[in-house]
Amino acid sequence: MSATREIISSGNDLAAIAAVDAGCKFFGGYPITPSSEVMHTISDLLPKAGGVAIQMEDEIGGIAAAIGAGMSGVRTMTATSGPGVSLKAENLGLAQMAEVPLVLVNVMRGGPSTGLPTRVSQGDINQAKNPSHGDYKSITVCAGTLAECYTETVRAFNLADRFMQPVIVLLDETLGHMHGKAIIPTAEETQKGIVPRKKFEGDPKDYRPYDVPQDQPAVLNPMFQGYRYHFTGLHHDANGFPTEEIETCRKLIDRLFRKVEEHKDEIESNEEYMLDDAEILLIGYGSASLAIKEAVNVLRDQYGIKAGMFRPITIWPSPEKRMYELGQKFDKVLVVELNQGQYYEEVQRAMERHNIDKLTKTNGRPFSPADIIEKVKEL
Amino acid sequence: MAFNYDEYLRLEKMPTLWCWGCGDGVILKAFIRAVDKLGWSKDDVCVVSGIGCSGRFSSYVDFNTVHTTHGRTVAFATGIKLANPDKHVICVAGDGDALAIGGNHTIHGCRRNIDITLIVIQNFIYGLTNSQTSPTTPRGFWTVSQKAGNIDPTFDGCELAIASGASFVARENVTAPKKLEKILKEAMEHKGFSYVEAMSNCHINLGRKNKMQSAMANLDWIDSITMPKKKYDQLSEEEKLNYLPTGILKQDTEAEEYCDMYKEIQKAHQGLRGPITPDDFKKKI
Amino acid sequence: MAVMAAPENTPVWVNTSRCKACDICVDACPAGVLAMKPEASSVLGAMISVVFPDSCIGCSECELCCPDFAIYVAEKKEYKFAKLTDSAKARQEAIRNNGYRLPDEYKEAN
Repeated sequence: MSATREIISSGNDLAAIAAVDAGCKFFGGYPITPSSEVMHTISDLLPKAGGVAIQMEDEIGGIAAAIGAGMSGVRTMTATSGPGVSLKAENLGLAQMAEVPLVLVNVMRGGPSTGLPTRVSQGDINQAKNPSHGDYKSITVCAGTLAECYTETVRAFNLADRFMQPVIVLLDETLGHMHGKAIIPTAEETQKGIVPRKKFEGDPKDYRPYDVPQDQPAVLNPMFQGYRYHFTGLHHDANGFPTEEIETCRKLIDRLFRKVEEHKDEIESNEEYMLDDAEILLIGYGSASLAIKEAVNVLRDQYGIKAGMFRPITIWPSPEKRMYELGQKFDKVLVVELNQGQYYEEVQRAMERHNIDKLTKTNGRPFSPADIIEKVKEL
Repeated sequence: MAFNYDEYLRLEKMPTLWCWGCGDGVILKAFIRAVDKLGWSKDDVCVVSGIGCSGRFSSYVDFNTVHTTHGRTVAFATGIKLANPDKHVICVAGDGDALAIGGNHTIHGCRRNIDITLIVIQNFIYGLTNSQTSPTTPRGFWTVSQKAGNIDPTFDGCELAIASGASFVARENVTAPKKLEKILKEAMEHKGFSYVEAMSNCHINLGRKNKMQSAMANLDWIDSITMPKKKYDQLSEEEKLNYLPTGILKQDTEAEEYCDMYKEIQKAHQGLRGPITPDDFKKKI
Repeated sequence: MAVMAAPENTPVWVNTSRCKACDICVDACPAGVLAMKPEASSVLGAMISVVFPDSCIGCSECELCCPDFAIYVAEKKEYKFAKLTDSAKARQEAIRNNGYRLPDEYKEAN
């Protein structure tokens, strides 16, 4: 059993603590509700740990500075909410294209536009899949508990360095502002689990950062260490220089997909709750899963309805294989989410069936277990 | 013997993509000579560029190089510099890049006085995208987006940088490459944010319909609208409307540099000093 | 300083694979040393040419103004450059007025 500690904290604070424990050395941000506490906390912790946290002039500057630091070789993070992700989108695309690891925490609130700044939503599921224009494969994880605000942020840093691309950590207003007890790994335990990005150790003359197998990410050495190369958002060649050469362009985008697609097993993470003997399958994620879990318990204890829950922790790429299997096993499937059915469509696609129910809510309020119990009783 | 530019160039990228006679190449050359004079190791230098013709600048020099999104050079460079305060970070941007889409990052880079050099290649037009109005296009000039003549007032980038708090601000023409080299060297040596406006020609996309179809005609025009600061200062206010001053326009070696100040934040959080108060700064408000 | 070896006994020399025929160096020369010559294979139909090397005064203006790293001038300590003469100035004026090409009257001397 790994070493753990008990901590009373909030989701936003836990994400900040996790970043610093995971070796993050740079944070670039901009104030936005309901994620600001991530910046408040990390701006105390990072300088203490010899790192830098800077509040930039706008959301775009926040992510640009973070990516710049990431290009130079350090672990780096930004945090925001939906409107901020919209503004950061172009530079997320640059990080995808140039293969710069970055962790972006999005504490979801109601949208579109300014929406409901202080209220919960899970409306950024589709945005997380493709925040920027163009073709690429996102990695998005979604914390469902206070402890996961810590552990999933740590995992996001390791995934970012493994796959050399941005990783989005989705929290939501409920989790971000929830204060409570969490049992999380000790800082030492987290540090033991750090897998830094790959580095080329040979002669700089032989270094070709983007010349890697089709299912692997670029190997980007830190700046200022003798390996001089080029970062660009343009289609680029083995050394990072702009090119329009047909085969090079084809292979680049193909690789951006395959490096994720062919290693889904390293990224996928789910929770299955009371599924073994269940007759009704509930699917949900993030803070909604807290209400779902409670509903499952009550349905079983008080109504004799054998419900169970499947909770994707990795949202993108979606656990499509497992969802397909579950779709074959369960007649009754209910997707519960705080939007109009964004993941519902993904579940339909993965299960290759349309006769799935959904329970949605977009009034800025969280689900109560009673909402879910009532819906399940109708099925 | 002659000066060997090739030592700093990525030779496989030569010749450059820039049009014949483009001032970008003269600025690139002056920059190379300035870095050479400073004696910096190529490994210790990072060049960050944005989008536009100037965006290609970074790909031609054998340093650590970054070609960012449109307008974001200074923001990216801020992250690179803060994470590596001992290294040299130089931004290159065009007038549209630095003063329109990236204006916010430019003014806040100046305000922080972070030790970055921003070279703005000022050619009065969007060149790469074919002659649209930029924030520095003179009024009355033809642009493809204002064919009846531009009515938008112009930015004076140097005045903007001075007002925003940059501690080194200078302007020089590509027609004076030796002076430009000297100014670039001083800007890069300067600790704090240095803003250098390099006045350049775009006879292709500025000149084509503004009666400056050759590089020489465009360069002569630049010479005709600029004069050294000393001479400019003698002009009447009315005469000044027709000229831009060149040379070093501001140099403040006392202003606190941002990376240095951030070290104080680190010390404060590490318990090595008390909190930072107004007494830590010369300028209180 | 980054240095390269100069060709023997040569005040100014060019790399024609980099020259884009912009005329700037010819315009910058005070001494009528440079001129454009017709070159069908060049994009603008012209190529830089060192027509009167013996008149080069070593001012380096051509090198400093060239945007394309295509022209180089020897170091003053290694080459004995000429002094600027009135005839060189007159030739420069004539070249400039002839669209940066060497006027016919100078071709024989060249």
